[in-house]
Amino acid sequence: MSAPAPTLAPPAAGARRRRPPAWVAVTVAVVLALVVGAWLSRDSEEFPGLADPRNPSPDGAQALAKVLADQGVEVTIVRSADALDDTDVRRRATVVVTATDGLTRSTLERLRRHVGPARVVLVEPSYALVQEIDADLTTLPVRPGTGHAIEADCGPLTGIDLAGLRLEVDGATAYNGTGCFTRELGPVLRTVRDDDGELVLLGAAQALTNDQITRADNAAIALRLLGHDQQLVWYVPDPADAAPGDAVTLGSLLPDWLVPALWTVLLAGIGLVLWRFRRLGPLSTEPLPVVVRAVETTRSRGRMYRRSGDRAHAAHALRRAARTDLAGLLRLDRRAAPAAVVEATARHLGAPVESVAALLDDDRPPPANDQELVRLAQDLARLRREVRRA
Amino acid sequence: MTISGRVPLLLLLGVAAVVLRPSGSTVLLWLLGVLLLAGLDLLLTPSPGTIGLSRRPPGTVRLGDPAASVLVVANPGPRRVHLQVRDAWQPSAGAGSNRFRLHLRGGDQRRVTTPLLPRRRGDLRAAGVTVRSWGPLGLVARQRTYAVPGSVRALPPFDSRKHLPSRLARLRELDGRAAVRVRGQGTEFDSLREYVRGDDVRSIDWRASARQSHVVVRTWQPERDRRVVLVLDTSRTSAGRVARVAGEDETDGMPRLDAAMDAALLLGALASRAGDRIDFAAGDRRVRARQRLHGVRDVAARLQEQMADLDPTLVEADWDVLAGAVQGFGRQRALVVLLTALEPSAIADGLLPVLPALTRHHRVVLASVRDPELTRLAEAAADPDVVPTADTAYDAAAAAQELHRRDRMREVLQRLGVDVVDTDADTLPPALADHYLALKAQGLL
Repeated sequence: MSAPAPTLAPPAAGARRRRPPAWVAVTVAVVLALVVGAWLSRDSEEFPGLADPRNPSPDGAQALAKVLADQGVEVTIVRSADALDDTDVRRRATVVVTATDGLTRSTLERLRRHVGPARVVLVEPSYALVQEIDADLTTLPVRPGTGHAIEADCGPLTGIDLAGLRLEVDGATAYNGTGCFTRELGPVLRTVRDDDGELVLLGAAQALTNDQITRADNAAIALRLLGHDQQLVWYVPDPADAAPGDAVTLGSLLPDWLVPALWTVLLAGIGLVLWRFRRLGPLSTEPLPVVVRAVETTRSRGRMYRRSGDRAHAAHALRRAARTDLAGLLRLDRRAAPAAVVEATARHLGAPVESVAALLDDDRPPPANDQELVRLAQDLARLRREVRRA
Repeated sequence: MTISGRVPLLLLLGVAAVVLRPSGSTVLLWLLGVLLLAGLDLLLTPSPGTIGLSRRPPGTVRLGDPAASVLVVANPGPRRVHLQVRDAWQPSAGAGSNRFRLHLRGGDQRRVTTPLLPRRRGDLRAAGVTVRSWGPLGLVARQRTYAVPGSVRALPPFDSRKHLPSRLARLRELDGRAAVRVRGQGTEFDSLREYVRGDDVRSIDWRASARQSHVVVRTWQPERDRRVVLVLDTSRTSAGRVARVAGEDETDGMPRLDAAMDAALLLGALASRAGDRIDFAAGDRRVRARQRLHGVRDVAARLQEQMADLDPTLVEADWDVLAGAVQGFGRQRALVVLLTALEPSAIADGLLPVLPALTRHHRVVLASVRDPELTRLAEAAADPDVVPTADTAYDAAAAAQELHRRDRMREVLQRLGVDVVDTDADTLPPALADHYLALKAQGLL
């Protein structure tokens, strides 16, 4: 096998270079298909929101947006607060906000700061939102039903004449106060004026939808409201633009005495700390005596032997202690010569002199490592035990 | 100044006010009101400086016995005072309930008693008396701490007292009063009396018997009025903590000094009963205690008193000074008992040079507290419970070396004519007493 391989390898390598493998082509094709698909579906994004200007479904308001554009109104659709900030809003322009559920206090303020004097129409703002605008405003659901149109029954509203027009929707929201299309509960269309300017509240989002815009005078109302100015900015707010503080806070649900009460409790807590803070006199101290373990010096000397690896010295001390002990056991003189102790021990145990001398004689080579020293210590201990027993 | 629990409670009541009038200003107004009340109370609070404090000294107790510290609190002013008093002691004095609440009318005085249970030998001191004087509303108090000196002296325990009766019995055997008289050597002739059965026939005085119709024996009494000098070494070697008996955990042990004190107390008590005169000296680089105890009735108590405040110090003993103290007691021949440690280096450098001067005039005994841990270390290799490691082998070598040096030092001392008593802490007092009795029996004092 090894012989033909070098000769065959060059043409094989060349063939591979000419024909790329099939999986490369497949991968390229898949990636291309994905890119093309993404390119084509770029504009076919769906906007399923109620009264959305790009929603062709019955709930959408694409028809209205198209008609307005055909009428020569410059319709700009923005879908985020940042996009709105980038849009140039003229002084005489209408800003309509659908899907107002996505509008929060901060985005509403941002919107009104940016558009300045332009007319702002909020389509069916919720209770929470109108509360943010004016605490006295409330919402009331209205269900006129099919065939029950509401008369406008009012004068011009922010310069738009709606007299004689009739609104017919399945369901709407009425606000308290005065305005147009008033049912017994309140008007469906009204204006709110505050420090920042004027807002138009339209409680009938369904009147703008593809499905219901053809009923009664809905189309005329929608076109007059939204097509009054040359420019129409259709703002579909993005809930993600809300600032963190916009959520319904716990504070608005809690009783108003709670915060001062918490402050009071905090003060009481500080009082509690101050109460427990001061002891009845200083801590009494103990003049402690010196405590040293008497054996500490010996232990540290042992550690010193180990650190310096002085096995010769350690072995000498162990052997001498064993000899002294054996001399005592064998009733020899305490200062008997080592050789005499070795001989007496060997005779006593009936063991060869050489093996006993290997343990007891100082002239033998010292242990080469710690294991040998440990073994020597154990052997000496065993020797002493045997002599004591024998 | 300090406040009571009523202040936070009052502040907490503010919650009710806040519920009735929910506003931030209510909180501030309430706080202001409480502060005004507290300030008013503070203005009306009598100063604790007007209170008179005096202490009755609790005196002396044996270690382990309870004592009581009496403090007299007086209110010399005309106004009624509400006081909290704390009589603080150092922790080892074992002060029990030492906090008192007192309500004193003008001119009144009250005694408060703090129970004490000393846990350490020596002078245990009072840390100070803290007086807290409350205002009439009980919101604010003024507090000061005053030094009212006082101390309780805890005497060393004298655990070896249990060995005293048996040694006294042995002493009486030496004495002529015993039922069976054993004739000692080197004892003094006491009197002649009639022979009774059981007497040693060797003590029959034949000449006296020849003159009388019955057999007469001589009775003997041991020599009396000898001097015993106890020298307690409080230097660095006495600080070492040793186990009382072999095998005991050394955390339960005691410093060498305490064991030496125990031995000195037993010897002192025994020698005073034997009619000898006791001198006591203790010191390290300088003499810390020095007393003649001639003709004192309870020598042990006086010795305890002397020893109570001795603590080991981390300095080398100056034996020149200590030998000077011994010589200062008189040049008459005495039994000098040196209670120190048989620590070769310390003895070689300090004691050996002055020993000849001492042995020339006196009989010298060196009593040393041996550390059982040392022997245990040396024999760790033979112990089947100990896992043999290099550490135990090196420790055994170091311990063997140390024991060897001690043996050599003991031989050197014995050659210089010094008797060495070297045993464990628990057995040192009886061993020393036995050695004394043996010397007395042989008339070697």
